[in-house]
Amino acid sequence: MPNLSWLKFLRHYGPVPRNDNMYDETIQRSARRQGIAPIKFEHPAEAEIVNCFSHATVDPVSVILTGTAGDGKTHLCRQIWRALKGAEDEWASDSPYLTLESRYPKDRTIWPESDDPTLYRSIKIHFIRDLSGWAPQQGAEWETEKEELLQRCCRSIFAPDTDEIFLIAANDGQLIESWRRLQETDHVKRTRQVFEELLVEDKRQQSGVRLKFFNLSRASSAELFDRAIAAFLQHPGWQELMEGTPGENEVFGPKCPIRHNYELLQNELVRSRLRALLELCDYNGLHVPIRQILLLLTNSVLGHPDAKDHLMVPADVPKIIAAGTVSRASLFNNIFGGNLSAIRRQTITIFDYLERFQIGFETSNRIDNILIFGEGDEHLGPYFNEFLVNDQFYGADSRFHASKLDYIEGTNESEDGASEFMQMLVSQRRGLYFKIPKNKEEELGLWELTVFKFSGEYLDYVLSVVRNQGIVKRPIVSRLVKGLNRVFTGMLINSDRDLYLATGGNNSQAKISRLLLEQVSVEPSKGEKIIIRFDGTSGRVVLSVFFAHDISVDFNLTLIRYEFLSRVALEGALPASFSKECYEDLLAFKSQLIAAYMRRQAREQATEGSAIGLKLLALTDQGMPDQKFIEIIP
Amino acid sequence: MSAQLQPLLPPDTLEQSSSMWVDEAIWGHRLYDEQLPWMVLLEFLNVFYHEVEKSRAFEEPNGLNMLKYKAAHRLYLRNILFNNPHLAEIRLNYPNDSNRWDEWFKRMKSATGITHPQFTYLKVHFHSFDDFCEVVSLIRSTSLEVNSNKRWTSKFVFPYGKECLYEDLDNTATTNDRRFFGRTGELLYLMLCRTQHKQALLTALTSRLSMTDSTWNSIIKCLQPTDDEQIGGDRANAFLPYAHHPSFDELAEDWLAILRLNIPGFDVFPHLTNLAGLHLVKYQLGVSRQVLGMTSPLSLVCEVVAPKKTLVREISCDFYQENNLLPAQAVEAFITNIEMGTDWQQALTEHDAFEKCKKILQDKARWGEDYDGSSDPQQLITSLRQAAMKRHRQHVANIHRNYGREIGLVSKRGTIKLRYAPTDALLKTLLFANVENRIELHQLLEKLHRRYGLVFGDKEAERVLAKDEFDKKAFQANSRRLEQRLASVGLLKRLSDGCAYVINPYRVEAG
Repeated sequence: MPNLSWLKFLRHYGPVPRNDNMYDETIQRSARRQGIAPIKFEHPAEAEIVNCFSHATVDPVSVILTGTAGDGKTHLCRQIWRALKGAEDEWASDSPYLTLESRYPKDRTIWPESDDPTLYRSIKIHFIRDLSGWAPQQGAEWETEKEELLQRCCRSIFAPDTDEIFLIAANDGQLIESWRRLQETDHVKRTRQVFEELLVEDKRQQSGVRLKFFNLSRASSAELFDRAIAAFLQHPGWQELMEGTPGENEVFGPKCPIRHNYELLQNELVRSRLRALLELCDYNGLHVPIRQILLLLTNSVLGHPDAKDHLMVPADVPKIIAAGTVSRASLFNNIFGGNLSAIRRQTITIFDYLERFQIGFETSNRIDNILIFGEGDEHLGPYFNEFLVNDQFYGADSRFHASKLDYIEGTNESEDGASEFMQMLVSQRRGLYFKIPKNKEEELGLWELTVFKFSGEYLDYVLSVVRNQGIVKRPIVSRLVKGLNRVFTGMLINSDRDLYLATGGNNSQAKISRLLLEQVSVEPSKGEKIIIRFDGTSGRVVLSVFFAHDISVDFNLTLIRYEFLSRVALEGALPASFSKECYEDLLAFKSQLIAAYMRRQAREQATEGSAIGLKLLALTDQGMPDQKFIEIIP
Repeated sequence: MSAQLQPLLPPDTLEQSSSMWVDEAIWGHRLYDEQLPWMVLLEFLNVFYHEVEKSRAFEEPNGLNMLKYKAAHRLYLRNILFNNPHLAEIRLNYPNDSNRWDEWFKRMKSATGITHPQFTYLKVHFHSFDDFCEVVSLIRSTSLEVNSNKRWTSKFVFPYGKECLYEDLDNTATTNDRRFFGRTGELLYLMLCRTQHKQALLTALTSRLSMTDSTWNSIIKCLQPTDDEQIGGDRANAFLPYAHHPSFDELAEDWLAILRLNIPGFDVFPHLTNLAGLHLVKYQLGVSRQVLGMTSPLSLVCEVVAPKKTLVREISCDFYQENNLLPAQAVEAFITNIEMGTDWQQALTEHDAFEKCKKILQDKARWGEDYDGSSDPQQLITSLRQAAMKRHRQHVANIHRNYGREIGLVSKRGTIKLRYAPTDALLKTLLFANVENRIELHQLLEKLHRRYGLVFGDKEAERVLAKDEFDKKAFQANSRRLEQRLASVGLLKRLSDGCAYVINPYRVEAG
């Protein structure tokens, strides 16, 4: 009999109802109780954060850990506590506020070789590991000593000679809110200003302020995913299950969906496709916290719509096998929260984000032809076999065949029958997203399975190129420039060699802008150029328009904007729903470009000409810009 | 707002027209519903440029309500732009350049309102008739209310500069007409004369206007002969009944905030226009409440449009309805105040009561000369009431609705009833005027409530609504929708749960 405690424990990470406040503590406690090691891996920023309190830091500095729920704030606090040799039982207490004495060298430039106590001074470290649990409820008054402590905190970050420092973990909203409720002294005001500045500008420190500010929500979800999935898959619990040599219909036996899902997650292709989704989230400005990644992994392995809480427990497995509903435990469907009710799914961040890709609902004729008519077809048959027949678990089972036949022959005209088949198609399309191999990506139009048709290109030909200081292929840049031109002029312009900056005369944001201000060359020319590059400090892909070698404007090229511009360039328009935000962003970009252009013009020696020149933009039948120059003599 | 109103009396020089003086006594001469905010701004600019030239802008050197100015007619320009359907046809039918000019000059001999029209001066400004046509079409495309079917004498070119300003004229283009220049722009000017910020505003406005690109103003100048001297007669008789009012200062503060931003060129005008409209509405409602002796501040509960009917929508409709009735109630109260006043009560006891009362009404409301009903003071004042309400309803009563709709505050979107449901454009204007750099969303909501009475979120709603009417969830959802809308137009940065910053992209320190 396999050791099942791991599977029972794993549920804690899944989408089960619970009190979210002390999540990390709860997990730690039940892990201790059940004698199981929790999933553990190093946070990408851990070393840097712990080093703020180690020999790497000679001059003591306060640290604020902020981020959204599940970003690992408490976990990181514990790592620091341990590194500083804080007592375990103190940590295990419920108190959100702890203190610790630590020593720092008196000479604040170097750690002495010697252990001579006279060389050191004592510094008190205040751990506020859960600010929201410690600060008074909204509307309630501060207790005097707590208020006093935070006032001291504010003073200490500006005082060079401080003998106390702080480590505060809080989500950003609570942080600002708590500070707003403090008595408004100069230090409080200044500190709040600093917090705001660091938060909004995404910075870690400010000169003259003894504070390091880590916003964990700025960590790359893809990087967190890599670490999380490795720790998840390598957990010894899985090995123990294997070693239990389970029988055919038992948990973790050869027919067990949990085991199959676990094995699928080990599959390189599945993993890379899942990672791609998280990476695309990053580049759409959506951050996925660690807790959500673990939830995703757990749900994808344990999910089944018929089980309690929609997560399988070991006892469910033989029943599911007997009932023939193994296919409903499909990892491909679980990844999108397909095992959960729609209402539950919408409240979970990761599923909300993944839903935006519309995987399962987006499709192409080719894909649907394979799924519906592929069986036995001369051309499509091989694909049908490869992706559906060969998948013993989640491919074309007897239910699928029967439903498909009903659908094609139209024998079952009831709504239920058709909608059941539609549901299966959704699952199968989701499966295809994870099964189509890299070398068939283009041929089968893999990314047509998502809302973002250009996301494959974005990942392979933009992101990975610019991250390695490469140059993005010319056709891609040209397409984006064409998209920009169409938005900037409001005309179906086809030019992609120059960027056309035009206004409506009285309104820089006019829908149709015929008055040409300037053309900026895409190819480098007299300081002008347009490039796509990676901005290391913000970790973003940006499109940079250079007016001169020292005048340029950056545009954060998120996935959604990339998609928008690409579609505008190729199709001329977009469905209204996702175009408005992008459209506004582009108009704002245009304003910035016009301002930059004005800056450059201000440097030019204006010729005191008598005539007024206007450049009017019209289009030829081919959509090429046709400039007309008009001169007015005053 | 609750301070006692101390209305001014019209100066003796004010034209003693025979018309009634009730709406005017309360709000001024006058608020006019057909003059939409853009026209208000244009009229204002006419006054402003004139007074700047006389070096007395925002001063009332001859005393309150003694404003006197002249406005240009610019009939050459207006004939070319708005009374000239020939260009396309001439380009098509006349192949060579000089033919085209000749034919056009010939046709323009019949230009309206100009004695001996002579357009040949244009030729020196353009290389070809074609160029001329292009320029005309460009200017037309940016003129205000391009697609309206107003008479040509009421069409206006965008106010690129002084050369673009002129007054509304009647059909024959001879005398000024108060149809679309109904003095509301003059009122706006007087309001700004009477704010404590007038010096700062004068500096900001003149420097902003001088900073704008002069190209278009120069081009428009080229469309006019150098000797176009046609100027209207003196425009006088504007009247604003208060020497001070908080709404004057608030308007000035908002204009100042907008003028300080780095908004490119002429993009400031739509914001100034929206704010002028909003503050005129606020002025009208605020004064109404004061006349009615209401002490609580004005509230406008706004729905951020939801896909389905919501509680907020219903409440917003109710507030709209209530506010919409305020001006009419103020008119009632104004007349009741006369009736309850000592003069009237005294007159009633005297033997020639009717004649005395009639005299009182003639003095206070300029009404009663033509009254031919029974000689009963009660009957007399009832007739005034009816006449005043009838007159009020024709124009002044519609300011709240018409201006509200025009600036994007009031809307019927998704329903058949009007309510407060601000458009993105108005939200942007409000944000630019109230966010210097960045503030948290809930602070902005608080500020919008404090300064304009706008209610979006639950905190503000709780203060305004009765307990049984207040639904926290509905208003939380409302402010969440606002948050999404602001994010979708790129003006909001969401950090994590419960923390969102509203950002002004044109903030002053930005390059």
